[in-house]
Amino acid sequence: MVELEAENADRLDQLCEKLLANPLIEDYEIEVL
Amino acid sequence: MIWGVLQFPGSCDERDALHACSLAGEARMIWHEDRDLGDVDAVVVPGGFSYGDYLRAGAIARFSPAMEAVAELAAEGRPVLGICNGFQVLCEAGLLPGALLVNESVRFVCRQVELAVESSATPFTAALEAGRLLSVPVKHGEGRYFAPDDVLDEMVANGQVVFRYAPGQNPNGSACDIAGVCNEAGNVLALMPHPEHAVDPLTGSADGLLLFEGAARSLAA
Repeated sequence: MVELEAENADRLDQLCEKLLANPLIEDYEIEVL
Repeated sequence: MIWGVLQFPGSCDERDALHACSLAGEARMIWHEDRDLGDVDAVVVPGGFSYGDYLRAGAIARFSPAMEAVAELAAEGRPVLGICNGFQVLCEAGLLPGALLVNESVRFVCRQVELAVESSATPFTAALEAGRLLSVPVKHGEGRYFAPDDVLDEMVANGQVVFRYAPGQNPNGSACDIAGVCNEAGNVLALMPHPEHAVDPLTGSADGLLLFEGAARSLAA
């Protein structure tokens, strides 16, 4: 699990796709707290 | 021929790569922050643990300024060789298909293996006949090559599987015994085994040198 403080939650999906996960081999879920 | 060898924080095989390249031309180290590769003809993305392998092996290195330049060099058709962590970086960067997963054994493996040449359609293997066996060491914990079945089929059809582990020698559970692959154009090649550690018979094999000499010869032709 990766916890981040982000000012703009709209970009979290892009962040996951480009860096935090490799969609070829990993799934991810985003939970905004 | 001028080789450039990338160096990231956490690289550990760049010195051997530099030495191997120097046996087949002139070789320079390129720091990961360098956006300008200068006049290099070919690049090696070496092994190690770039950026500590944080997130995933190669996940952060792919964003380095030097990798932007490598992508441009690759697009120009110039040779790029990824070794071990370099293979992981090139996959993360999208310059090669697939990904490298944790070894099937979930253990780090370090041993000499035999590779069978599957394709001569790269600058590095142009002088090597298909079926030739090369003795080269592996040392990795995340070397299990993976690609979806349809991608694997396409790669086989395109001749993008360049090396397979010899029968019975797959050290990590790689799909179809794949040890090395190339892009569609053939100029970007990467493999998990370490040819830069096999350039002197004193260390058990000089078969790895054939890849460096092959690229130099291809460029000179």
